[in-house]
Amino acid sequence: MKGRWLRAYTVLYLLFLYAPIALLPIFAFNDATIIAFPLGGFTGRWFVELGKVPALHDAALNSVFIAAMASVSATVLGMLAACASTRYEFPAKRPIMGFIMLPLVLPEIIVGVSLLVVILRAGLHLSHWSIIAGHILIVTPFSIAILSSAFASLDRSLEEAAIDLGETPWSTFRLVTLPLVMPGIISSLLIGFTISLDEFIIAFFLSGSEPTLPVYIFGQLRFPQKIPIIMALGTILVVLSILLLVTAEYFRRRGIRRAGGQDSGGFLG
Amino acid sequence: MADPIIQLENVTKRFDDFEALKGVSADIREGEFFSLLGPSGCGKTTLLRTIAGFEAPTSGQVRIAGQDMAGVPPNRRPTNMVFQSYAIFPHLDVAGNVGFGLRRSPMSAAEKARAVDEALEMVGLAGYGRRAAHALSGGQRQRVALARALVLKPRVLLLDEPLSALDKKLREQMQGELRRLQRQVGITFILVTHDQEEALIMSDRIAVMFEGQIAQMANPEMLYRRPVSRRVAEFIGVMNFLPARVTASSPAGIEVEIAGLGRATLSGDSHAEAAPGEPPSVGIRPEMLTILFGNEPETGRVAEGEVREVVYYGDMTYYEIAIDGAPGTVTVSMRNLVNRPVLRRGERTRISWDERALILFR
Ligand SMILES: Nc1ncnc2c1ncn2[C@@H]1O[C@H](COP(=O)(O)OP(=O)(O)O)[C@@H](O)[C@H]1O
Ligand SMILES: [Mg+2]
Repeated sequence: MKGRWLRAYTVLYLLFLYAPIALLPIFAFNDATIIAFPLGGFTGRWFVELGKVPALHDAALNSVFIAAMASVSATVLGMLAACASTRYEFPAKRPIMGFIMLPLVLPEIIVGVSLLVVILRAGLHLSHWSIIAGHILIVTPFSIAILSSAFASLDRSLEEAAIDLGETPWSTFRLVTLPLVMPGIISSLLIGFTISLDEFIIAFFLSGSEPTLPVYIFGQLRFPQKIPIIMALGTILVVLSILLLVTAEYFRRRGIRRAGGQDSGGFLG
Repeated sequence: MADPIIQLENVTKRFDDFEALKGVSADIREGEFFSLLGPSGCGKTTLLRTIAGFEAPTSGQVRIAGQDMAGVPPNRRPTNMVFQSYAIFPHLDVAGNVGFGLRRSPMSAAEKARAVDEALEMVGLAGYGRRAAHALSGGQRQRVALARALVLKPRVLLLDEPLSALDKKLREQMQGELRRLQRQVGITFILVTHDQEEALIMSDRIAVMFEGQIAQMANPEMLYRRPVSRRVAEFIGVMNFLPARVTASSPAGIEVEIAGLGRATLSGDSHAEAAPGEPPSVGIRPEMLTILFGNEPETGRVAEGEVREVVYYGDMTYYEIAIDGAPGTVTVSMRNLVNRPVLRRGERTRISWDERALILFR
């Protein structure tokens, strides 16, 4: 009997989690301006109309640029931190690593407001760069988590073997370390990109006159006739995000398998 | 005798507050098969890594081919290492692994490919070049690691417990192959092992290490027959110890009174160190005690006792025998022959021995 209740609970839980997202594509293809049942006919016109809004294109480009900059920077920083934390002992290592990981649980609104205050006080202008800085802050902990598991599953004696066989520390990094943690790097880039692309609160506080895609979408919600277009856009974003995340997880797992280690992290079960 | 290829002079290594090497000195000769033998944690790997250049000695000197190695990184030393984990590069195939160290060599691509093939052939993996690293068995990984190090023709090959991960059959086979390979290439091998039998079988010379120090350095036969301390004697093979009292000592010989065996005169050089605080004892190996079956005539000295335990190995039988007048039991090994019965527990028996086989520990 117990099993049946648990199953019902699981189904309800998943429904609650995913039904709203499932509504996105339904209304994106619905031939009516009003978001309500019963549905009208099937149409692709909202997707076509997406292509006719220049402001949206600008926002999308902004988002992609910001996500690319943030994920690359966070991955570089994450690699340095992961390397240091898995290789070396240094004083106060645990507290330092703890503080670096903190943004993972810090409310984004706090991060957003504090950064806004600091940037304005410092007399700087809000731009792409302020958003990029904010996104680096929240993406770096994810990069560290992914790359730490990649570095930790790397057998130290592989690098020693390369040095023993005549390579310098730098060429060892290039010939052995880098190829073996590459799946982790790709995974970190993809996840960082996805997080930055979807992020709203920090982008909302820190964007100047050039909004990112989520901020643009938020602005458009004031116009009811635009909502189906937003639904179409949302559908594309969801599909893109899922694709990126699955690819990222694929690379992370392949990396651990290749380095012959045990799986000890990751975000997707 | 050739000049030493490796000279260790009073090498110490300190990790924080732990001293892993406490003044190790040794000369290792060109072309010899040298083993570092000792229990786990005694500093064998640390010493090997110090020779390879992965650890810098806290004090003392490592010289290779007459040159002081202080400040010389591993990639610039004429040594190569076979790691305990083998450290096969998982992203490269077998040929990629074996040829890894040739990347910087001035050889042409064709010459490199030939060198790789030769190395693979040498370790019995001819034709395996395109195999993926993860598709190899434990024994094959070990051979790839060997080929990868040997292809560079180092002056010294360092091996850290290369056989400990293999099962017994394969291990015994590889022991023979490593020995053959060493003779064939003529390179100095330094083998780290905690397995005394492996060290005895394979080595020209063995250094027995305890707690960061070399206790004895000798060839296998000397090590077995003339251990310098009770600790070494206990670590190498099996030795029986009987309480003993020294009654007279002169340059000509030492007179002892041995529990269960009686009076004996030992030559002046057959004595070794007892463990600190231990009373003196006399040691004798199991094969140096001979059971006299039925009414076999006595040869040499004879003691009597009762069989307490019988362990039958097929080719040999090991007996635990309580000798009259001695505490505990002694181990006696006898080869099984056509006309030799196997004794039962509880039987009484005579044991013959010779005083030349005795070592006094005091
Ligand atoms: N990098 C290190 N840091 C601290 N202690 C170490 C380090 N390497 C080895 N040790 C210590 O030195 C001792 C000897 O280690 P090792 O040379 O590996 O022994 P063996 O190979 O004989 O088993 C051990 O007690 C080990 O804990
Ligand atoms: Mg060891």
